[in-house]
Amino acid sequence: MKMTKIYEGSHQWIMFGRDEGKPGNIVDTNQYVVRTPNRCLLLDPGGAELFAPMMAAVLHHAPVDQITDLFASHQDPDVISSLGLWDQALTNAKLHAPALWEGFLRHYSCDSIEYVGIPDNGGTIKLESLELQLIPAHYLHSPGNFHVYDPQAKILMSGDVGGSIEPPDSPVFVDNFSAHVEKMRYWHQRWMPSNQAKRVWIERVRNLDIDILAPQHGRMFKGDDVKRFLDWFDALQVGIAV
Amino acid sequence: MTNQTKSQFIAVASITSELSAVMVVAKEISLAAANAKAIAFRAGDKAKGFQPITDFINELAKETIELVTNINIYALVLYRLTVEEYHKTIAFNKFELAAKMAEGALYAESMQEPVDQARLAMQDCQRRFKKDVSQLLGQLEEVMHHARAARVIAANSRIEASQAGEYLQSLQAVAESVDKAAHTIHDNVQRCRIALSIYRNS
Ligand SMILES: [Fe+2]
Ligand SMILES: [Fe+2]
Repeated sequence: MKMTKIYEGSHQWIMFGRDEGKPGNIVDTNQYVVRTPNRCLLLDPGGAELFAPMMAAVLHHAPVDQITDLFASHQDPDVISSLGLWDQALTNAKLHAPALWEGFLRHYSCDSIEYVGIPDNGGTIKLESLELQLIPAHYLHSPGNFHVYDPQAKILMSGDVGGSIEPPDSPVFVDNFSAHVEKMRYWHQRWMPSNQAKRVWIERVRNLDIDILAPQHGRMFKGDDVKRFLDWFDALQVGIAV
Repeated sequence: MTNQTKSQFIAVASITSELSAVMVVAKEISLAAANAKAIAFRAGDKAKGFQPITDFINELAKETIELVTNINIYALVLYRLTVEEYHKTIAFNKFELAAKMAEGALYAESMQEPVDQARLAMQDCQRRFKKDVSQLLGQLEEVMHHARAARVIAANSRIEASQAGEYLQSLQAVAESVDKAAHTIHDNVQRCRIALSIYRNS
């Protein structure tokens, strides 16, 4: 599992991905960790197959008992099918996930972890003195979907939005936006169902000060590429399967 | 899924299917008993020796049905336990793998406690499974006992039927069906016991 520190301040953001041990037939994912002095939050902790490498990678940054919070942007298996395993490993943790999905996500087992349902209009996650904002991103692509914005680090973890499928050894940041577009087009057109939801989300996100847009698949966008992505996405017609 | 878990799932599933067949047969016996009672009533004095036997057959069928109902509840418990053990085993294996992969990591040692806890939880499931299997085997033994008793009664019925004059044939048919049913129960339960005996508490 490759680890890349993407923010270092009074807290840290670390990106995990490009796992070389991953079975070839499952989709590659990025996991993110927010580390404060005594706590640790895992964003979209990943599929069951990824549990062991992910746990091992986190142990470079925090002991098990300081993994106190998990966040699932939506219900997909590549996001959170590892829940049943975290549930057995962590004795004092909360899962922040869409309230809409609670009855469904509990199929993965969520007994010792406390399910903190996020209402449709969003909310916050408090990690010691850090406050992260939960930005509604419904229908992008899941009907109950949230992104995480850190106003201090100026990072937006954007779930499947901004995603692309990349070969396992590709860089973690977009370096040539116009070349990258082709890797994202079908992904967004096919997975994202609603032009209206897209418009509302872009309007909301344009108001945030973002240095890094960090999707759950593919490469992150930095600096001007964030605005480039929003403009490109704005112009894209989605929901093409019907 | 390991072969051990797989065969445990199959063993538990086979109990349920064998037992549902036993249930059908036990209900057949109970029907045969009611039938025999009616015939014996019509035969009057000629079938005097047969009447208490029909009551006995009926009683036996009822007890078998009750026993099998109980055993089915047990089988469900065993099934749940098998599922639980399956999950705990996966967790233990993944935790061990994570601990191994984390070797050299700053906080690798903190993984030891989850590994130990998962091992205990898995072993606890195995222990409970073995204990429950032993108890289930005891109950199956009881059903076998009933089946053996039914066969003895069937033999007695044949003798009594021979003195029932024109009712001989119909009463003999009753004895025959009880015997056949008891035989089936015996065989099915025997198969359950064989499937489970490898998990018995040793
Ligand atoms: Fe998804
Ligand atoms: Fe995804």
